[in-house]
Amino acid sequence: MTIPETILKELENYTGTDQVRKDLNINLFEERLLDSLATVELIIALSEAFSMDISPGEIDRELWATPQKIIDYFEERANAG
Amino acid sequence: MDIIERIDNWAQVYPERVAHVSGGQRLTYKELKAQSDKLAGYLSQALPNDGSPIVILGHKQVEMTIGFIGCAKAGHPYVPLESSFPEQRVKTVVETAQASWILTVEEIRKILETTEENPKFENRKREMEDVWYIIFTSGSTGNPKGVMITRASLENFLNWTLAEHEITEAAVTIIGQAPFTFDVSILDLYCSLVQAGTLVSVTKDEIANLKELFKTLSNSNGTMWVSTPSFARLCLMEPSFNEGMIPTLGRFWLAGEPLAPEIATELLKRFPKAQLWNAYGPTEATVATTSVQITKEIIAKYNPLPIGYPMPGTQILIHNKEGKPVAAGERGEIIINGPNVSIGYINRPDLTAKAFFAVDGQRAYHTGDWGRCQDGMVFYDGRIDFQIKLHGYRIEIGDIEANLHVLPNVQDAVVVPVMKEERADHLVAFVILKNRTGASDFEIMQELKRQLAERVPEYMVPRKFVFPAEFPITTNGKADRRKLAETLQ
Repeated sequence: MTIPETILKELENYTGTDQVRKDLNINLFEERLLDSLATVELIIALSEAFSMDISPGEIDRELWATPQKIIDYFEERANAG
Repeated sequence: MDIIERIDNWAQVYPERVAHVSGGQRLTYKELKAQSDKLAGYLSQALPNDGSPIVILGHKQVEMTIGFIGCAKAGHPYVPLESSFPEQRVKTVVETAQASWILTVEEIRKILETTEENPKFENRKREMEDVWYIIFTSGSTGNPKGVMITRASLENFLNWTLAEHEITEAAVTIIGQAPFTFDVSILDLYCSLVQAGTLVSVTKDEIANLKELFKTLSNSNGTMWVSTPSFARLCLMEPSFNEGMIPTLGRFWLAGEPLAPEIATELLKRFPKAQLWNAYGPTEATVATTSVQITKEIIAKYNPLPIGYPMPGTQILIHNKEGKPVAAGERGEIIINGPNVSIGYINRPDLTAKAFFAVDGQRAYHTGDWGRCQDGMVFYDGRIDFQIKLHGYRIEIGDIEANLHVLPNVQDAVVVPVMKEERADHLVAFVILKNRTGASDFEIMQELKRQLAERVPEYMVPRKFVFPAEFPITTNGKADRRKLAETLQ
């Protein structure tokens, strides 16, 4: 699975809606789709899926506000090697 | 103990010691005394001396602490409420409590800025049987109910906790996570204040932005940690959350929901020098009634973990359906019997009569919790009814359903908790709509979430919504919750 597909699958699972796929710029916090606990769980789930060491304490909430931002974050990290 | 006298005394002994730290604010003992005196003087002029409840609306600001102590000095019980609660919920609480005033943080600030101190004001004496605080908790029919706790019950709880946790003068800094609407916060607030300690509050903005949260924790110099197991679980997801982050930490006190063995194991591993305590008790019995230190030996021996031994002077009874004690080791309802039991729900004699009774002349409370005794300790075995703990919040499923039912497009609604590793992870609402308009499921869900959030606190709004045409029905003709839950797997 590609990086965006893995992320969107997890996001669908956490938010219970495919809207996260239809609108990549939807604000996950403002639309009440992710709360703090779900965000941390998502960070952990994705860092495991991509075998990356990401500590929740390093992440700014702003960096994770939309599906597109999350995709950008992981693609950048993947490219950085 | 005279709570107010003790706290006021620190203004003389340790004027510059910090009583409360919260989101960049700091309040010293000198400031706490001067400002709570000023507020109390103002309230006692503005209100008759009738002991009417005052709602204090805010979050974790230092003005909340000033408000609580100010109300107590003015002779009024206080009702803490979160400013994020919807207006509708606040209104219901104000009406049920017949509150004489709603003090917001902004209003407290304004009073402190614009009022002169009244040098003639003297604290109104609070008798042991006077109500000190009222905490509202979810009610199964959609209206919250207010648990009244007297000065006697509060002091009784503080005496036990200070002794058991060796909280001594000017030597404790408590990290407190629970919101003031949740009575676990009574421990962190009063155990620090009566011993000239410091309360470091964790704010909701910090929990929403973990970078800030871990900064606060590592700057806290905390010696004692008071939270729900859910909050500890969240922190444990951060690898650097260990004794290197909070080297001063000597004790964890966890309560509010079952403590999972893996959380206990991990905390002891990350903080090898700290003691870990598990406590249990509903709001109706003043914060906590039983406790036990969780060691590696206890974890190896028991699953689920024990909730421990009752506090001195209070007994735990395990009753069967007929209200008679069960045989040793058998399961039954946990009954709490002792001076820490509340005098009842404010202005709801009907609900009070159902939940409270007397045993041997002492107040007793039906917890609605299954429990059993083993090896002299009490064990919690789940709920008898539809009350759940979601991330530490106590929620009646019926409360959410009743508030969904009144929404214009809802014909019927059932809310189901989704379980993960034996704890509620999130809520799903199954809703039969009156009109399937042209809107998408997502749009309908967002509209319902928005409408529901105008009636109940945010944490009670289900994460997911499903819109079936009808519900599966049990043989009794009720919606089949089990079958609905199964459709999610």
